[in-house]
Amino acid sequence: MNKQRSDSEEQSGEQQQQRASPARPSFGKKQLPSIPKNAVPITKPASPAATAQLANGTHASYGPFYLEYSLLAEFTLVIKQKLPGIYVQPSYKSALMWFGVIFIRHGLYQDGVFKFTVYIPDNYPDGECPRVVFDIPVFHPLVDPVSGELDVRRAFTKWRRNHNHIWQVLMYARTVFYKINTMEPLNPEAAVLYDKDVQLFKSKVIDSVKLCNSHLFDQPKMDDPYAISFSSWNPAIHDEAKERMFTHKRRPEDHHKGLQVSGLSWVKPGSTQPFSKDDNPPLS
Amino acid sequence: MSWLSRLTPRGPGGRSSRNVAPSSPCTADPETCLMVFENHWRQVSWVLEQQDPSSSSDDLTAVRNHTDQMLCLLAEERPGECEGPPGAVTSGNVPPIGPILDLVVSENVLERVVQWHLRRGLDPDSQGALLKLFEMLIGQSQQPLLQHKAVLQPLLGLLGACAEPQLGCPPSLENSLVLLLNQICVSMARAPAVLELLFRSAPAQHGPTNLLIFTLLVPFIHRDGAIGQQARDALLLVMATSASNQGVARYIAENSYFCPVLATGLSALYSSLPRKIEVRGDDWHALRREDWMGVSSLVLFMNSLEFCNAVIQVAHPLVRRQLVDYVHNGFLVPVMGPALHKSSVDEMIASTTYLDLFLRSVTETSLLKAFLRFILMHRHDNDTILDTLLTRINSNSRLCMVSLSLFRTLLSLNCEDLMLQLVLRYLLPCTHVMFSQRRAIRDTDLYGKSADKFLSLIPDCCRLSTAPSAEREEEPALWGKVLNSPSSESPVHHKPSTPSRLALFMRQQSTGGGPCTPSPTETVPSSPGAGPNTPLSPDSPMHPVPEVLDWESGYLEYLRDARRGVELCSWACRNWSAPYDGEDPSPNAAPLPPPPPTSNPSLAMFPEHFSFQQSGSTSPGQQRAAVVAAARSEWSSTERDSGEWDVTIGENSCISLTPRTKKRSLQRDVHIPKPLHLPPDSASLADPSAVPHLRSAPTKGAQQAIINGTLLGGQGDRCRDSQDGGMEVKKVKRELGEQRGAAESSRGLPPHKPSHTQTLSASLLSEPRTNSSNDRMTLRAAASSPGSGPPEAMLFNQSEAVERLISELLDGAGPEEGGQQGPGDSNGQGISIEAFTQELRELEDRVRERSKGVGLLRQLEETTRDPHSGEPPPPSPLDADLMGSGVVAGVVGVFRPLGQTSTQPYTGPFMVVLFAKLENMLQNSLYVNILLTGILGQLACYPQPLLRSFLLNTNMVFQPSVKSLIQVLGSVKSRIETFAASHEDFPAMLKKAQRYLAARGKVDWADSPMGMPTLRRSDALVKSRKPSLGDLILRHTNSPTRARHAAQLALAHVRDGGQSLHSALFRGGSGASGLEKQAEALRVKNAVYCAVIFSEFLKELAALAQEHAVSMPFLQSHDTEE
Repeated sequence: MNKQRSDSEEQSGEQQQQRASPARPSFGKKQLPSIPKNAVPITKPASPAATAQLANGTHASYGPFYLEYSLLAEFTLVIKQKLPGIYVQPSYKSALMWFGVIFIRHGLYQDGVFKFTVYIPDNYPDGECPRVVFDIPVFHPLVDPVSGELDVRRAFTKWRRNHNHIWQVLMYARTVFYKINTMEPLNPEAAVLYDKDVQLFKSKVIDSVKLCNSHLFDQPKMDDPYAISFSSWNPAIHDEAKERMFTHKRRPEDHHKGLQVSGLSWVKPGSTQPFSKDDNPPLS
Repeated sequence: MSWLSRLTPRGPGGRSSRNVAPSSPCTADPETCLMVFENHWRQVSWVLEQQDPSSSSDDLTAVRNHTDQMLCLLAEERPGECEGPPGAVTSGNVPPIGPILDLVVSENVLERVVQWHLRRGLDPDSQGALLKLFEMLIGQSQQPLLQHKAVLQPLLGLLGACAEPQLGCPPSLENSLVLLLNQICVSMARAPAVLELLFRSAPAQHGPTNLLIFTLLVPFIHRDGAIGQQARDALLLVMATSASNQGVARYIAENSYFCPVLATGLSALYSSLPRKIEVRGDDWHALRREDWMGVSSLVLFMNSLEFCNAVIQVAHPLVRRQLVDYVHNGFLVPVMGPALHKSSVDEMIASTTYLDLFLRSVTETSLLKAFLRFILMHRHDNDTILDTLLTRINSNSRLCMVSLSLFRTLLSLNCEDLMLQLVLRYLLPCTHVMFSQRRAIRDTDLYGKSADKFLSLIPDCCRLSTAPSAEREEEPALWGKVLNSPSSESPVHHKPSTPSRLALFMRQQSTGGGPCTPSPTETVPSSPGAGPNTPLSPDSPMHPVPEVLDWESGYLEYLRDARRGVELCSWACRNWSAPYDGEDPSPNAAPLPPPPPTSNPSLAMFPEHFSFQQSGSTSPGQQRAAVVAAARSEWSSTERDSGEWDVTIGENSCISLTPRTKKRSLQRDVHIPKPLHLPPDSASLADPSAVPHLRSAPTKGAQQAIINGTLLGGQGDRCRDSQDGGMEVKKVKRELGEQRGAAESSRGLPPHKPSHTQTLSASLLSEPRTNSSNDRMTLRAAASSPGSGPPEAMLFNQSEAVERLISELLDGAGPEEGGQQGPGDSNGQGISIEAFTQELRELEDRVRERSKGVGLLRQLEETTRDPHSGEPPPPSPLDADLMGSGVVAGVVGVFRPLGQTSTQPYTGPFMVVLFAKLENMLQNSLYVNILLTGILGQLACYPQPLLRSFLLNTNMVFQPSVKSLIQVLGSVKSRIETFAASHEDFPAMLKKAQRYLAARGKVDWADSPMGMPTLRRSDALVKSRKPSLGDLILRHTNSPTRARHAAQLALAHVRDGGQSLHSALFRGGSGASGLEKQAEALRVKNAVYCAVIFSEFLKELAALAQEHAVSMPFLQSHDTEE
């Protein structure tokens, strides 16, 4: 897997050569990608959430922060979930658009690597559920054969804040490839085949997987610095990046300056008594 | 051990050119040098070989001169080339020793010289000469010498002579001796093998003290000046070198007095610290480096403490552990403990401040552990130090501030044990939340609801500038700002100095122990091995202060600070034993936290009206402490403008002091009180009817009295039996508040009101198990009692008088000024009523005297506290009756119905006291508010869901009896709004206050960006503000640059074209009639500042709530210690 993404964290404003930029573990980043100075944020214009704040609160100026932070929090939740085989990355230009890729490791779609984009409504979290659109329409009963959109809404008929989260959508996007549902399909052909002729369905799936994988190294559909792009293994770039991924230890940004003493605890695990831990190493 | 490498090259005091190549003469020709040496040696040995014991002084002079020459040659000799003289006694093959050294070794030159000296009797003169000679030799030698027995033995012989009791080392030679020892240690550090030699080759006659250099150095540990520093350096080198040598370590731990001397030395040094810290600045709350560098006794102490820290850092575990134990048992427990419980406010302030300073200075985990263990676990008079410290938060402004400062330091340690004791154990059972809400404990503020709630609490009157700027703020700009502002530029002011103790240590060494010039930049952390210090440049414009202050643009800054705060905190907590998320540790398994009454019931009961209650098993000493604490707390409580006090010390030493009225003081000051006639709202014991009532019914005993003082008084001075675990906190309080309000209104505002009257009804009844006769007493004081002095005489310092009265009364040991109070003498003994009466009289006189001609103005200005009057009358005869043991039952009987079951949720004294203080924000001084909100902000950074949800989840439903932060904030909000509504010029004042703070901060920031624990507050405030509030509070008038600040500040105001808030508020406040106005102005000032701080605090909390939602946990680190 040669996954590459640009650095989203500290290099705001810096357009990076995507191909050349070293991979970075997506875990541990918690800031939405920056908006370049000249870019117009998509979040801004019609954010009903923000306007709602305006309408009913005097603290309207904080509205944008709420949407921003809500999405940031959702992204954090995604990271915390550690969904198997799913990687997402908010776009450079808008916090409401996330790029993703899903790796299917077994089942009918085994070895499939599907890129997708998540579109989050700008009145999030009060709007509809986010949309998931595959870059290449996968052959699947629930994936629109033309647009590539996954039928997410069936699982989240009503998007309820506090209960529904974007990670659940991603989880759902993964599940559909392991547990095929043919009810009310977006791709009736696939549904019928699955029900009637699984063998043919399987071969179609294999073709579809092949097709997707053959376009893996294509330029990302979206012209966005944080779009996920694949390239073949280049030791010059990827070895080091891989090494860094494995050795990476997240630390606070400026921890060296502030934390002289940290992690003080003499509480024995399972106890709630202070100084219950005997931390005196035995003396030789 | 990077410090070692830094330490070693530096020569001790005054010898800078140690390693400079020797001057030419001898480098010229080794052959010649050898010949010259041999020549000298021939002459010397001729003298030495004379067996005549009574050698003449000529001989001595000759030997000395020759030896001088010889040793110079030896020192300057370079090691031989690769082919050294084959026959030499060598300790290693490379590099071969030079020919002179070879000769010295083979002929045993030094040994013979020294022995000759010793034989003929060493006079101080030659002793000094020899010491100097050896010091020069070892310090300057071009080749390693000490591994040669021929050098080492005579050296040890000489040192042995210095250690001998009959000869010893005369004071005049101490410098030379220590310098020599220092040199030896430096050489030893370069060649650790020498240590083993030193250790082994001790002359037999020195018995157990086989590490002679060590024995000689120990007495100098605590010395002042360069000599002490050299000794400590040297010892540190020994420690470091012996860190891996079990034998030496064992010797140090078992056969030397090193650890006890070091630790108990701290005790001795502590006892010479100033007992009172003189500060004039109203913002002063903690000792900065520049504060104590000028205080020699403190410098001395800090040197030793830092030395302890350094030893613990480098020494063998055996030594380390022993030293830590000694510090705990030999310094903290016997000295710090009693010091913290001293009875005078000044001493409390001093000891609290010292403890804070020590905590900030200690970097070694194991030493820190000893301190924390002491604070959390050690019971002094049955109370943990923590309990005692907690009560102080509720006290007068200075003691409150230093206590808050101490807690800020403690919180900055991110120590699980501490947080457990302080807060978490009370939250663990989850009884504070509705059962159905337990699951919500882990929720974060996903959609900014809590943040929104916090922000919505910003009073409208504080939004003056908000709306326009908010509208103006274009969103792209927001994006750009939040994302493009380089986070690296933000100043980091965390815990001040812990890291840099070694750096500090080094610096002190390098300045030779003289008065160091404080250089703030050096307090930057220099972690070992991190290479050169990278101090933040003090000049770096970390925060270019915008010319135009935009008080509303700061939310991004708050978010950024909040992110950093949360991130650092969760990083620091990553090794905690449990997540504290309401499930782990299990709420059901959690032991029940101590109920309110046992530790600080008063805080729980009447946060604003301190009352104190001790458990029935308390010792008299503890009671005393409790009373003192209570008295003090009350004295200073924000309602201190009330004129009346109830002091009730009941059975089980349940004490409460309650200030009565508010806002009355000024009138009172002026008016001579008429005889008391209070409306029968019975709100005060001062009501003369109350006292007669008591007196008239002595047989009813204490119960009656207490009822009178508390229950009937409607003031909430309710003593509760300590076994009666839980209690209704808020309800009672609310009721009381209402009652009080009613009482006040019913009383009207009579200028003649007998408000000076202070009623002090105290009964201290200790349990029978304590044997001293004095431990039962009841003190009832009523100002209205006949014969008492004129009340106006008491208005000045009245509260202090009360406080001192009580403390002295209860201080069984008597007014033993100064002496260290051992743990043993804490049981108050022998206060007789007579003595007490006598003391009261004296007190009265003193107070009366002082009040004459003392500037009331100043008093008023300095504190927001209004003067009280009051005076202690002689104890009433009734008291004896009150002591009946039956009283307890009566009291219990009376009070139990008010209480609640012991399962009443209780969020712990810390939260309660902080919330109480917060609720009173409007009356707090600016500096208290800054510290207070800073601490709450600090707490809100903690990622543990239990704590986070308690503070920041505004949707959480708590049990009705649990006060939530949002509730408290709501009440502050409405108070501010009420205040603003009643002051037309509030907007103008608010603006001025903002500008004033910013301007002051600007000046302060520019001058000292480093240094002290910057208050978190400062970090959290927006750019312009950021520096301001934080450093603002750090300034104090004693600081050397203070005058300059003031000047700059004045300039800033002139520039701004504005008046300072101060003068604006105090306009017309001159003259005697201005007295009242000034008090009012002070009140207004506090309120206006409060409004500023409050708004900022809300932004900070909102930002924290948001950041918690997006923070990622850190993995546990397995490298436990860095």
